[in-house]
Amino acid sequence: MKDEMKFIFSQVHADEGLKDRTRAFLAQKTRGYTRRTAGTPYRICAVACLVCLLIGGYRFFMVPTAEISIDINPSFELGVNRFDRVVTLNGYNDDGQVLADEFDIKFMAYTDALDRILDSERIVSLLGNDEVMTITVTGPDGEQSSSILSGLESRTAAQENTYCYFAHADDVAHAHEMGMSHGKYRAYLELKELDPDITPEAVQSMTMREIRDCTNRLLADNGTESPSGHHHGNGHRGNGRGYQGGRRWAQQE
Amino acid sequence: MRSEQEVNRAIERYSDTIRRLCMLHLKNRDDTEDIFQTVFLKYVLSPVSFESEEHEKAWFIRVTINACKDFLKSFFRSRTVPLDELTELPAVLPADYSDVLEAVFSLPQKYREVVYLHYFEDYTAPQISRILRKNVNTVYTLLTRSRQILREKLGGDDYER
Repeated sequence: MKDEMKFIFSQVHADEGLKDRTRAFLAQKTRGYTRRTAGTPYRICAVACLVCLLIGGYRFFMVPTAEISIDINPSFELGVNRFDRVVTLNGYNDDGQVLADEFDIKFMAYTDALDRILDSERIVSLLGNDEVMTITVTGPDGEQSSSILSGLESRTAAQENTYCYFAHADDVAHAHEMGMSHGKYRAYLELKELDPDITPEAVQSMTMREIRDCTNRLLADNGTESPSGHHHGNGHRGNGRGYQGGRRWAQQE
Repeated sequence: MRSEQEVNRAIERYSDTIRRLCMLHLKNRDDTEDIFQTVFLKYVLSPVSFESEEHEKAWFIRVTINACKDFLKSFFRSRTVPLDELTELPAVLPADYSDVLEAVFSLPQKYREVVYLHYFEDYTAPQISRILRKNVNTVYTLLTRSRQILREKLGGDDYER
């Protein structure tokens, strides 16, 4: 039977006409072998728009528009977004990183976050031991930065050893290149004017109190008065009460 | 989607096999042409990556048989065709061959498939079981039963082969 089967079915072939019609059918169905579904361009567009929206939304919310640098010797920085929410928190030394890890303040309003930091046992203890705290607000010289600085100055008005400043982003970039937060970098620059031999590495391990004391000693040696323990800021004179845009803290005055 | 080159190669390689399988199941040239084109369209659009030519051929056989079965389930299609209306075969076959053809086409469909794959395509029972996704014992049973039926219809021991 095998031979008969072989003979019978070997007579059966797909003729060239069938093959040609099939080729034409396939070319038509696939639009020349480039077939896409009718909705594909729209789907691609929709997905692209969604991706752009997600990326844009992420950048809109997550990118800081101002930064608050806090230096005692723990040094850490809070990034604040356009909605006044803390979106980043980075330590600039080991102690700073430990504190940054301890504070659960991401996405909190920065006023609440700073209350939590400034009222924390660790910070209160350091300031109680006569340590110096420098708080630097960085950002474009606009409403948000002014509001933050004003609020900080009001919040810390009662503290002797606390200094508040405003700094531009370029200055902060230099500080970060040196491996320091801006507050400590500023103190380093002040000290370097008096002691050109001081190095960033030496300053990195010093507390703000130690840097201040060093600076004051050198100023005294030069017969210059040391700055008092009051607030002053770059571009903001007096005691920081001149801004109307301050938030909750300013209203407490 | 596969390229035009791949498709042309597949048409040259597997057209006859598909044609023969269609003949085993279908009524006429138009139905055969529908299934033929459907199978190749599935091939064009299939994401399956074939490990070998044997794998690819097995795919074509399975898809063709399934397409024929789906077609035959359609309410509006007639399932029977007189043998003398089959136009694929030579107008005149030697008597022995005509008898065999008639006997094979009188088998139930499930027997025809395994008979064709075994006696013409030279697949073993295990290979047929993989292609048709049937239990290998089922395939052995189908082959044995088909030989019995063919022996009864055609007579003699020649059909043990």
